[in-house]
Amino acid sequence: MYSLTPVRALRAMVVLALTAGFATHLPTAHADTAPAVAAKPYMGWSSWSMQSSKYPGLNPDGDYSYLTEANVNKQTDALASKLKKYGYDHVNIDAGWWMDKTWKSGFDEYGRQKADPVRFPSGMKAVADRIHSKGLKAGIYLPAGLEKGAYGDGKTPIWNADGCTTADIVYSDLRTTNGWDSAYKIDFSRPCAQKYIDSQAQLIAGWGYDFLKLDGVGPGSGKSGDQYDNVADVAAWNKAITATGRPIHLELSWSLDYGHAADWKKYSNGWRIDTDVECYCNTLVSWENSVDDRWDDAPAWTDRAGPGGWNDLDSLDVGNGAMDGLTKAERQSYATLWAVAKSPLFTGDDLTRLDDYGLSLLTNREVIAVDQSDAPPARPVTPSDAQQVWAAKNPNGTYTVALFNLASAPAAVSANWTTLGFTGKADVRDLWNHEDLGSYTNKVTQALPAHGSRLFTVTPHGSAVTSTAYEAEATTNTLSGNANIADCSACSGAHKVGNLYLGGKLTINNVVAAKAGTYQVKIAYVSGDSRSVAISANGNGATSHKFPSTGDWGTVGSVSVPVTLKAGANTITFDSGSSYAPDIDRIDVPKSSS
Amino acid sequence: MSSALPDLPRRNLLALAAATGALAGLPAFTASAAPERPANSTYSGGTSRNTLWWQAPADDSSMIVQGLPVGNGRLGALASNDPGHEVLLVTDATMWTGGLNDTLDSDGQFPYGRADFGSLTLLARLTVDIPDHDLGAVSGYRRTLDLEQGVATTSYVRSGVTYQRQLFASRPDDVIVLHFTQNGGGRYTGTVDLAGTHGEPAADARSFGGTLANGLRYGAAVTAYGTGGSVTVNGSRVAFSGCKDVTVVLSGGTNYAPNAAAHYRDPSLDPQKLARTKVAAAAKHTAATLLHTHVADHSALFGQLGISLGTSSADQRALDTWERIQARARDGEPDPELEASYLQFGRYLMIAGSRGSLPMGLQGNWLDGNDPDWMGDYHTDINIQMNYWMADRAGLSQCFDAFTDYCVAQLPDWTDVTRRLFNDSRNRYRNSSGKNAGWTVAISTNPYGGGGWWWHPAGNAWLSNTLWEHYEFTGSRAHLAKIYPLLKGAVEFWEARLLTTTLPGSSKEVLIADSDWSPEQGPLDAKGITYAQELVWALFGNYCVAAAELKKDTGYAGTIAGLRKKLYLPVVSPKTGWLEEWMSPDNLGETTHRHLSPLIGLFPGDRIRPDGSTPKDIVDGATALLTARGMDSFGWANAWRSLCWSRLKNADKAYQLVVNNLRPSTDGSNGTASNLFDIYQVEVGRGIFQIEANFGTPAAMIEMLLYSRPGHLELLPALPDAWAASGSVTGVGARGGFVVDLHWKNGKPTEVKIRSINGRTTTVAFGTTTRTVRLTPGESVTLRDFAR
Repeated sequence: MYSLTPVRALRAMVVLALTAGFATHLPTAHADTAPAVAAKPYMGWSSWSMQSSKYPGLNPDGDYSYLTEANVNKQTDALASKLKKYGYDHVNIDAGWWMDKTWKSGFDEYGRQKADPVRFPSGMKAVADRIHSKGLKAGIYLPAGLEKGAYGDGKTPIWNADGCTTADIVYSDLRTTNGWDSAYKIDFSRPCAQKYIDSQAQLIAGWGYDFLKLDGVGPGSGKSGDQYDNVADVAAWNKAITATGRPIHLELSWSLDYGHAADWKKYSNGWRIDTDVECYCNTLVSWENSVDDRWDDAPAWTDRAGPGGWNDLDSLDVGNGAMDGLTKAERQSYATLWAVAKSPLFTGDDLTRLDDYGLSLLTNREVIAVDQSDAPPARPVTPSDAQQVWAAKNPNGTYTVALFNLASAPAAVSANWTTLGFTGKADVRDLWNHEDLGSYTNKVTQALPAHGSRLFTVTPHGSAVTSTAYEAEATTNTLSGNANIADCSACSGAHKVGNLYLGGKLTINNVVAAKAGTYQVKIAYVSGDSRSVAISANGNGATSHKFPSTGDWGTVGSVSVPVTLKAGANTITFDSGSSYAPDIDRIDVPKSSS
Repeated sequence: MSSALPDLPRRNLLALAAATGALAGLPAFTASAAPERPANSTYSGGTSRNTLWWQAPADDSSMIVQGLPVGNGRLGALASNDPGHEVLLVTDATMWTGGLNDTLDSDGQFPYGRADFGSLTLLARLTVDIPDHDLGAVSGYRRTLDLEQGVATTSYVRSGVTYQRQLFASRPDDVIVLHFTQNGGGRYTGTVDLAGTHGEPAADARSFGGTLANGLRYGAAVTAYGTGGSVTVNGSRVAFSGCKDVTVVLSGGTNYAPNAAAHYRDPSLDPQKLARTKVAAAAKHTAATLLHTHVADHSALFGQLGISLGTSSADQRALDTWERIQARARDGEPDPELEASYLQFGRYLMIAGSRGSLPMGLQGNWLDGNDPDWMGDYHTDINIQMNYWMADRAGLSQCFDAFTDYCVAQLPDWTDVTRRLFNDSRNRYRNSSGKNAGWTVAISTNPYGGGGWWWHPAGNAWLSNTLWEHYEFTGSRAHLAKIYPLLKGAVEFWEARLLTTTLPGSSKEVLIADSDWSPEQGPLDAKGITYAQELVWALFGNYCVAAAELKKDTGYAGTIAGLRKKLYLPVVSPKTGWLEEWMSPDNLGETTHRHLSPLIGLFPGDRIRPDGSTPKDIVDGATALLTARGMDSFGWANAWRSLCWSRLKNADKAYQLVVNNLRPSTDGSNGTASNLFDIYQVEVGRGIFQIEANFGTPAAMIEMLLYSRPGHLELLPALPDAWAASGSVTGVGARGGFVVDLHWKNGKPTEVKIRSINGRTTTVAFGTTTRTVRLTPGESVTLRDFAR
């Protein structure tokens, strides 16, 4: 639970928090609705994965035909009986509830989406009622904008808005919007516009829905530019939902623009950070298309998530085995990332056909607790290389640590305590296996299968890392190529070294190590996209590391990189090689090797 | 040329076949005598410096770079060592498709496909699934490969119980054994699945058999036994349940026989049945007995050479083998124990891959699929020779025999095919003289007397010279007698092939090789290529010595000695300053080409010596050519370069090339894979295991420590700074018939013990100090106090 701070004050705080870079725990504008919406990442089931799949038998009546009242009821029952007790409580109806089997839309006399009578013969309210009768929450779906089919020559009246017709809510040039250009863009400077959104909100609130996925929202959904800027739509939805008095969770989709993260956070309860996880193939998903994208795309968003609004990594399709399209190891990694990133946990699986392993993944209470905890989302503490470590510090002083091997062959992966900020001994608990593994000194190393993972709670018993900072902009360093010193308000010393591209290099000189050894050097950097840099010490062989995006060119992130130093003075070089490297702010060299 | 022999009638060839068949006609997979069993435990944990270790297993998709190789000299297997999913990809050295392949293509060359020429292919796949031990559920995973004892181990913890398994391939029992144990009250429940890889119909769970399209019969069998719990046959699998320990025993093979007259088959041999007999015989013993028998056998060979190149740091020792390979390349810091382990790994592979069956081809007996690149065959223009450069030098002379036996067994068909097909009018390499005699080979050879790809006229000389060097190392008269027909046939071939020409601006007549291709570059029709001239010069010399030693063909040897004097030998190009490759001052190929064919007189030959006995311009030209070839090639090409630099006493370059081969291979890049296999990048993102560098690089390392030719030893000719502080190598084979134990400190020998195997007199040099040693076979002498 969080305090009910007045909205105006809260917004000011958000601005401050974003500037200072510690927005994680702040409630959002939804704080004034009660009960709390999205205090934790929501959990449940969504229909889209099965609708979108070509897996034999799922969509016998054509593409997306899985979505029917009977199937929703079936999944509702399965969710209630198998997963509800673990916290999965949303049954979310995705796209198509107002479309017939040929994907033709139906609308009511007010231009609002109307249940397709073949798919949902009992209507949408009856479905929601049935979901509620099982103690679950009902979710529904709408696209952004006024759907073209709802326009009706502009003469369609808007519900509960005297004199307003569809022509009064859109731009006169009928410019289109959303990720598919399937709707006319709504002009919210026109007084009737909000009324239309209100009418939709009233409709779904009246049916009793608790959750709305608003899809095709831009900037995002593969679109950019004013025409596809749907921030006003989202704000209108926020307002309309508030006006219904019903606490409806508003989730935005898809690939929302990072540059508008503050808007999404202000007006909604979650935002899809990436494209659909589904593969639109013979399974629900596949590793490359597009589960594995998330490891690269989630880090930049980490700070944006918190109570009231979460980074949505999309459906968690790990329960069905062969139909998921993944190996066992991939299924576990998928669930691990979702949990540590504190993504909503909603599965798109066929809940009537969960296999034992899938059920164990979806119902591991220790892993669910990571997702639902009060800790911030984990972020990579190492570069985004084939083997990577993500971690978050928990309020009780322990750490959630995930090891990932994204390579296509088994590999040993180590979590070095120094990269978490402490040294010495720590106890390790294996969450997936419900097992205390004992005490580990300095690091834990495990063998991971291809695309595999481990998830631990690490309880430190050692001391904090002490390190020496070296600023990239120090005059004693050597810059070559285009590299130069640039202002950076978020950086330590207010400067960084940038323009590390096409041969640009930064060499930090006189890095002193007491003893020869491998040091976990923490690198503070700025990178608006994911970039690689080759790091070497003393002119020896360089290792290329991919740094996760920090989201924009004003935000500083950090990762730790092992560097072998000799006793005494060393040089550490960042070489852009034939590509573009991140800007470097500072390095912190621990006092001791590990 | 007046001495070419008329074509022999066919019946003479058959007589030759019968004669050689009598030398080596036994199938490789055959009933074996009861093994000698050691009285006591021979196994000692496995924590020596010769133990490699890793913190992750292999999986099905990574076997060639992460699978651990085991082998008994005939059977080879790559193992995943995955706790829940142990996979063994099993190959038998004789598991070959194809045949004699004696219908030439329209260009007069050989077909090179898997059906006609053939390919080494997998024999079987063994899977042991233990569902409760999924890799994601275990901790503290570790696996080791104990090179000294020939045992791979896997250990991990599952729910507080430590599980361990041992894997070894026993030559005495002719089986592969997996032994699963645990400490702490654990139990094993799972299945053993033996399957063929060629679409064999599922038979019973314990064995299968099949016949390849070429008629080769093959089969394999498995059995499992345990204590506590139960082991039952369950459909196509063997199931074990609740066992405290489990032993799985596998054997298999083919009915291949190294006998041309019998068309390389033993029709009386039923491989499936024999495999069942073998696993049944082995299963009468405990796993410990099988282990001890194996360790005694393996370690006896392994112990024939010991090496220390210095001491590694504690930080280096703390790294697993793969981390260490990466750190060596990244940090540029020598890791002498790792480097010595790399050498010992080559010896391990030699013991595991070359005993009592066919020799090792491009991948030895370790495949990850049915269709290895280049058929996993015998390439005769560097690869098979390099495979066997190490054996005598590294105290594994016994392992050389597979190569000898192969050549001897193939000779009848090599001779027959040469006589029938070499002078085919479509063959651009045919003898323009119209004469034809002896034998030669194609660039690729198979075990059925067949060639693949293009004719390789000088291949016969290189094979013969390699066989001859084994005689130089061992002084074995029996070996010499065995290879004499090969030498003589090769000599006869060249006697018929050499052309007489007069050099421009000279009246001197010289003999040159007919049209040929300097391996694998430049013009296809060059006469007098250096490669051939050097090889034939050495061949003729070797033959004359052989004839004299055996007191045979004295007159003929005299003729050959005369021809040898007339052989053209390469000169230095005035244009490039390089030793010429094509009897032309122009560079007609790639400057940095992988092959060092024109330097074959520097290594493996010794015609070019930097000791004043070779004209300086020739040494300089060779050095310039070697320099131009560069330092940045791959596996075997680097190893060959290193050997050449070692001959030129350039320790820095010789060592750097070893280091280059130790670079980690990632995503198929050139270098050393996690399992220490050498990988050649055939295209970006795809690497191929090529085993030669795993032998060529160790050979180069030894050559840096000891140079030998009959009558002369040189200590530490190219000792790199990285190893100079202190070190030792014991059991090094030296040409001339000696074995040398050498200790050094601060770059100088402190003690050298020379044992005579067959040798009598040799000089021993270090720097400017030379001693002469006279010994009788079996005697040894220890020398000290060498000063530069």
